[in-house]
Amino acid sequence: MKHTLKYSFSFLLLMSLFLTQAQVTVPTNTSTERTKIEGEIPEAPKQAKTKLSTTTKTDTIPVKTDRYGVRVGIDLYKITRGLYDKNYNGIELVGDYRLTKKYFLAAELGNENKTTQDARLNSTAKGTYLKFGFDYNGYENWLNMENIISVGLRYGASTFSQELNSYKIYNPNPYWGEVPEIVNGDKFSGLTASWIEVVAGVKAKVFNNVFVGFSLRLNRLISNHKPANFDNLYIPGFNRTYNGDFGVGLNYTVTYFVPIYKKKVTAKK
Amino acid sequence: MKKILVLLLIATFSFSGCEKDDICDANTSTTPRLVIEFYDITTPSLLKKVTKLKVIGDGAPEGIVFGTATDDSKYLTSESTISIPLKTDADTTTYSFILNYGNANPSLVNEDKITFNYTRENLFVSRACGYKTVFSLNATSPYTHTDATIPDLLWIKAISVEKNNIDNEYETHIKIFF
Repeated sequence: MKHTLKYSFSFLLLMSLFLTQAQVTVPTNTSTERTKIEGEIPEAPKQAKTKLSTTTKTDTIPVKTDRYGVRVGIDLYKITRGLYDKNYNGIELVGDYRLTKKYFLAAELGNENKTTQDARLNSTAKGTYLKFGFDYNGYENWLNMENIISVGLRYGASTFSQELNSYKIYNPNPYWGEVPEIVNGDKFSGLTASWIEVVAGVKAKVFNNVFVGFSLRLNRLISNHKPANFDNLYIPGFNRTYNGDFGVGLNYTVTYFVPIYKKKVTAKK
Repeated sequence: MKKILVLLLIATFSFSGCEKDDICDANTSTTPRLVIEFYDITTPSLLKKVTKLKVIGDGAPEGIVFGTATDDSKYLTSESTISIPLKTDADTTTYSFILNYGNANPSLVNEDKITFNYTRENLFVSRACGYKTVFSLNATSPYTHTDATIPDLLWIKAISVEKNNIDNEYETHIKIFF
């Protein structure tokens, strides 16, 4: 978590850079307007206005193009977590393909191995998952910018196994004393689960074709094949399960954009 | 924009903060106790209250706590129903049932021993509660009824097994007639 925090702050700083750029262009317009007011001559501002409008028209139309292509990358959160959390090992590959101006086909493929220590249970979940769906970019980019603030949906499916390492008997009347932890080692394999994810994410272009992104996910189980006499406490890709069908997730990605073709942007009127 | 990002980050870290939030609810059905009801031997349909019964496990330092009192009277019961825990790590549990415990007249004090024979099964309850043990009294010899080490005749006249499967505390498993 400490590592993620560090990366998140650096990511925030990166985003704030873009913010300041955006703000610089706005004040220049207002400053010209101010000078108009100071002048208080009715004829002068008319001239200024016409000049401005003609120059902008000739500038914007030919320049703006959108790049289309494939973005591939990796989730840094899962990799860094494996370094400091001895109970966790995981990797996630992410990718998306720009379908239209605002829609992206998106997918994640991953593998996780996590040991969960609960108050009375210790279990290990191992497995592979695949998520696919789309992202909708709701961010209107300025010239040459390719940032994304998106919402999206995913369908996720996981095939995994669970190993019950040890457990405790819950006895509300410990007259005969607390029974020590029972070492088990039962393995439940061939487990499956599927779910729907709602994704909220941001991706920012850091340099050239490299993007960093951050996404938050709210998951809801559709199917959950549980083992007999045990529960799926952790589902790779879905993360920890709760009493209901809901779960949460996040990732922190670094991706590389491979441009395939360009499309001219038609100005909106 | 910046505010949204900050909010998103706060939301993420608050989520990651609440991991071990679940506690086993007291109302959850976990390891059950053996429920015994006492009946009158002369009219077997009538519940009969015991008088100052002390139930002490074989090898246990003290009796089962029935009352809320702070002195030794908490080990005594004068009700017609008791619930006693079975061992979750052995297939037999032996209890001594001492009637009129602490009575000044020693001829009234009577001790009987019952050994319960059963099989166990550990069932998954939940993440917070872990597993529970349920018991199944042996079909052929669910119990052995003996007198105390110092014989004082049997005060329990008959024992009847009502339910072999002990998986909750809502039903009576054993009826004792005296």
